[in-house]
Amino acid sequence: MLHFDRRLWRNFEWVMLGAVLIVTLLGLINLYSSSFTRVSYGTSVFIKQTYYCLMGFGIISIIILLDYKILSRWSYPLYAMIISMLLATLIIGDTVAGAQRWLDLGFFRLQPSEPAKLILIITLARLYSRKDTSAGLSFKELLIPIGLTGIPFVLITKQPDLGTAILLGLIFVSMILFVKLKWSTLAALTGIALFLAPLAWRFALRPYQRQRILTLFNAGNDPLGTGFHIAQSKIAVGSGSIFGKGYLQGTQAHLDFLPERHTDFAFSVWAEEWGFIGSIFFLACYFFIVLWGMNIARSARDKFGVLLAFGIASLFFWQGFINIGMVLGLLPVVGMPLPLFSYGGSSLVTMLAGIGILMSIRMRRFMT
Amino acid sequence: MLKPLGNINKTDPAELTKLKKRTGVAAVIVLGVVTILVFWLWHLQIHQGDEFLQRSENNRIRVLQLAAPRGDLLDRNGEIIITNRPRFNVIWVRENASHPDEVIKQLANLIDLDISTLLDRIRTGADQPRFIPIRLKEDIDWPTLVRIENNSFNLPGVQVEVQPIRNYLHGNLASHLIGYLGEISRQELNKRRGDGYLMGDLIGKKGIERVFESYLRGERGRRYIEVDVRGFTQKQLQVIEPLPGNDLQLSLDLDVQKAAEESLKGQAGAVVVMEVNSGRLLALASAPHLPLEKFIDGISSSAWQALLADQRAPLLNKPVQGQYAPGSTFKIITAIAALEEGVIAPETTFACGGSILFGGRRYHCWRPEGHGNVDLIKAMAVSCSVYFYQVGQLLGVDTIARYARKLGLGRRTGVILENERAGLVPTAAWKLQRHREPWQDGETMSMAIGQGFNLSTPLQIARMTAAVANGGRLYRPMLVTAVRDPDGNIIHEFSPKLEEEIKSIRPQTWQLLRESLEAAVMREQATGRAARLKGVAVAGKTGTAQVVGRALIKDLEKDEIPRHLRNHAWFTAYAPAEAPEVVVTVLVEHGGGGGSVAAPIARDVLASYFRQKTRFTDHPLPTN
Repeated sequence: MLHFDRRLWRNFEWVMLGAVLIVTLLGLINLYSSSFTRVSYGTSVFIKQTYYCLMGFGIISIIILLDYKILSRWSYPLYAMIISMLLATLIIGDTVAGAQRWLDLGFFRLQPSEPAKLILIITLARLYSRKDTSAGLSFKELLIPIGLTGIPFVLITKQPDLGTAILLGLIFVSMILFVKLKWSTLAALTGIALFLAPLAWRFALRPYQRQRILTLFNAGNDPLGTGFHIAQSKIAVGSGSIFGKGYLQGTQAHLDFLPERHTDFAFSVWAEEWGFIGSIFFLACYFFIVLWGMNIARSARDKFGVLLAFGIASLFFWQGFINIGMVLGLLPVVGMPLPLFSYGGSSLVTMLAGIGILMSIRMRRFMT
Repeated sequence: MLKPLGNINKTDPAELTKLKKRTGVAAVIVLGVVTILVFWLWHLQIHQGDEFLQRSENNRIRVLQLAAPRGDLLDRNGEIIITNRPRFNVIWVRENASHPDEVIKQLANLIDLDISTLLDRIRTGADQPRFIPIRLKEDIDWPTLVRIENNSFNLPGVQVEVQPIRNYLHGNLASHLIGYLGEISRQELNKRRGDGYLMGDLIGKKGIERVFESYLRGERGRRYIEVDVRGFTQKQLQVIEPLPGNDLQLSLDLDVQKAAEESLKGQAGAVVVMEVNSGRLLALASAPHLPLEKFIDGISSSAWQALLADQRAPLLNKPVQGQYAPGSTFKIITAIAALEEGVIAPETTFACGGSILFGGRRYHCWRPEGHGNVDLIKAMAVSCSVYFYQVGQLLGVDTIARYARKLGLGRRTGVILENERAGLVPTAAWKLQRHREPWQDGETMSMAIGQGFNLSTPLQIARMTAAVANGGRLYRPMLVTAVRDPDGNIIHEFSPKLEEEIKSIRPQTWQLLRESLEAAVMREQATGRAARLKGVAVAGKTGTAQVVGRALIKDLEKDEIPRHLRNHAWFTAYAPAEAPEVVVTVLVEHGGGGGSVAAPIARDVLASYFRQKTRFTDHPLPTN
């Protein structure tokens, strides 16, 4: 398993590593600014994130030594483990700001919903890699994957962490579309979704979540209520203009107008201080990772590798799109960090582990 | 090395190729989304960039925090002990780092503060983030308030905030128990992250204010105001009213507490008043008191130094934190041990000639001429030490220690106050370990009369006395009986907690002890006769705890002895003797004799208890 082939060195995945290093570094630079206040605990958040980075890159170096095929074998044990951790979180987890998302492991407060995303991708990839799917999936073939997605979906919704739950749903949809559906299945699913949407709106969403969606359409009307955050975030981004206000100079961020400015709204701090130029640079680096991930999927040596790489790339895509869309006022506010960029140990380590898997797939593309 | 993984792909190459082609479709979707994001960024930052820049510069919504009034403390009859009053402070909501001199000058004039003090305040506050207003002057009076309002058009950024602060309706009554507030420290802020504290918040630092902080604090409110470039309030946008904290109903009785503190006036010491059959504390007094008013805005360092230096230790909450040799009150323990172990019968007598020779050393009774032949009841009544020296020798240190611990000495009572001390019950093993010397038989003599290494808190002695009165039940002393929301509804109720029932001691032993304690107050020669009350039979035990060996002070007249070498005076009692309701334990530091100093205090406190009781029932009025 750990047998080290010299071809691995020759094929070392510098491109992905370089892109990820840049985005992570931008994240740290930005975190320093967003947590920089003379009375706050700025340095400690910054230093913590630096440790998480080192931890994440350590994990990458372990993962690239492993053949990713081993994940196919481990998928169900991993799945069982993460489900029990999600259950444990609900029962004994720490509550922060009304949400029960953390599990105290002593040395690390883990948010199991983060690795759950990655493990769901591994599990679904394993499931479809063993099936002949060339004819497209029938409705019956979807039942097991729906179940596999549904269990963590419900557990995470209960925390409540709507953002991550939605992501699980999007991963599921992306992967079944990628694997290919029968037309009849697609039609049936669309029908069900259209039927369920109003019910979900009425029963599944909490009032504040409904409010956030409504807010999107009339953010200006209510600058101090729910619309406050979006309005302030838009002011922050917009006032960055072409060149930005300069590093550590963002008034929106430093005068406390931005909520969650080192986690979910990290990008608005960046956009305020670095302007359009800086934002475009960031988008380019970030979505390059997504596209290169798709490229890794295209070049993978087997079906499991293709599905796995595609799943991880789509995770990066959805999370980046939803977070930035939210910060720019295009999408409703859901709690979702920007991968590699927002503060948060569980998210950073999980996403870097995902990068490690992508690199492992890439480096073994010529081996059989 | 694990076995190599087999080929897990059952897919034919054609399907794999098809699958891979779909990544192209995905890439197109990704690029489409990126285009949308870039377009929207362009729209916000370039197309509308100037407009947003303008808005960010005019973004002058300021949030003013509104402190919540803390919950009140009520006594057991619902009378308010402490509450809040509004205080008006001048604050400055900053717009930029510079401060126009004219404004400062005018303000200094208006609020009657010299310019240098004002500038000092501003400089200190400038270290904080700009969104936190700087407090310039606290507690301005009404005329000043009116002057500021009238001149507000000249004072950009200057506001008046209303802050609720503690109002001590009864001065320093129960000051140690109530405790005080102080500005939250960095460590506390760190520890309570997520609880919504901000720098500059007040938090309970001592006493009930600290222990029940989470019930008392309430929830802050916010006032959103929009200010213009110069800092003038344009309009008030929204106010979220603060939510007052919950009230605590204490078991304390205001009148009894007052009587206890009144009778301790001028002394240093403690009074505990506790219900015999529930452990509810009716009074818990510690003298000298804490100057509560001085703590409101943070005590000055000179005042703090003075408190620290005061020999009478005003910072100590003596009923629970003071540890003293229990003196003759400890004879209760020795007597119980002797009866239970069978080393004496109630009628066993010893002869007291004023002293006894043991191991070449003379041990004195307090009465030089001696007590003659004494049995147990008489020994307790006249507090004959020679009797207990001999009983102690028969028992030995470890047996006495076992009974002391049984009755709750040497361990915390579990009262919900910080830093309760455990006292000390010495044993032979303890001495060997602590002092690396074996126990001396002579030390057993001292121990039997509550001297030597023995240490107790007044609360422990009160609980021990209650156990005698109620036949062996140890309750956890209790202070807070209920938590009420601001509307007065009970949201949490605390019931008395029976910690332990001492079953191993026979009823007739308790009975005999009660008789002897009654004798110690009611008999002719009783040491505790100063505690007698008209209409109510009192039972109790005096104690006079030596602070230094008697040789050192034997040649001095009573009032020539320096204060810190004088004896501690103890008296612990319950009443009515035939149906005990309440325990009173008094300790006066360096007060002198228990019978002459502590017993009268206990009498006054008991009198106030029974007077108070008759206000609600139809008992005849007892008088002193």
